[in-house]
Amino acid sequence: MQPRKVLVVDDSKLMHKMYEVMLRQYALVYASDGRQALDRLQEHPDIDLVLLDVNMPNMNGLEFLAQIRADGARADLPVIIISTEGRDEDTVRGMEAGATAYIKKPFHTEEILGMIARLETKGSAA
Amino acid sequence: MANKSRLESPAVGLDLVAELRSTLERAGELIRVVESNLKGASEGIEGASSSERVAELERRLATAESDVKELASRLVDSEHQGGRLMNLYVATYQLHATLDPPEVQATIAEIAINLLGAEQFVLLLRRDEGDGCEIALIEGMYEGGRTFYDGEDYTGGDPMVDATLKDGVLRLGPTAESQALAAVPLRVQHEIVGALVLLKLLDHKPILRAEDRDLLDLLSAHAASALFAARLFATKDRKLRTLESLVKLARGE
Repeated sequence: MQPRKVLVVDDSKLMHKMYEVMLRQYALVYASDGRQALDRLQEHPDIDLVLLDVNMPNMNGLEFLAQIRADGARADLPVIIISTEGRDEDTVRGMEAGATAYIKKPFHTEEILGMIARLETKGSAA
Repeated sequence: MANKSRLESPAVGLDLVAELRSTLERAGELIRVVESNLKGASEGIEGASSSERVAELERRLATAESDVKELASRLVDSEHQGGRLMNLYVATYQLHATLDPPEVQATIAEIAINLLGAEQFVLLLRRDEGDGCEIALIEGMYEGGRTFYDGEDYTGGDPMVDATLKDGVLRLGPTAESQALAAVPLRVQHEIVGALVLLKLLDHKPILRAEDRDLLDLLSAHAASALFAARLFATKDRKLRTLESLVKLARGE
């Protein structure tokens, strides 16, 4: 069975390394901004989940999210926003833009792993 | 010693978590068996001896439930410990992953923001000559609110930062004299070459937690050495290129 494929969108190399260590059982694809992330989605149509930062150069996370939600084929792709933007209005803005979940940085590893596990359970039950 | 070396590897930490999870599942199965037996006993199948059997099964059930609670608690602790070790591993790896000075500085900033939750901070490095420190990195501070950190140099003024630069002791604030949340001494070998000063955390991170101390210690030991190694390499590389150009010129190439 092929490992599930996760797109990591974050402009921090430190965070790329963090996800590499944390999500060893998944196949990871990386992007450093929203534009690159759109390209990666074209190159890898089998991506199952997106971990998305908000503050990035070129195209930020919310702009990227708006684009993929406007695309009918990607409307249901699970997207977890993981951001230092932690005010309530930031969370509301992210969820209104179409995020599946919103996690604040700095996070505990269990938050990410738990959320992915819940999404997998939900996906397999559907 | 064996335990220590196991905990030093995040991968082994995750194995430990998987092992605990498996044990927890086995304990859950045991509870189901005990519950099933208890149900059968409560239906009065065994007649007069059934009350003793029920009591025995209840004792076993209580033990199993207690074990499950303890294992669940250990699982949570282990997952938390695994996360802490992962943060330390990734921070160390990334600090020493490059010899490009701007990239090392960016990594220090990323650790402060993404792992510590810092919103405002300053990286100070002692000048080779003269007093004061170079402000090598400043984040999240606007011109109006910089106070001690205007311009290119820090020349002293915050008592907590000054004390840390003097004696190399990591200090946590704020205090009556200083608004800094932490003054982290930066060491290269045994010399204090600067300090990382945390001035404000993100709004959703009200205080520095116990596990943040590990990261502050790591920055104290590794940030400056990584930055100095990168700067030294950049200087040597530049000199080497100059010498190579001179040699080519002398040869008429």
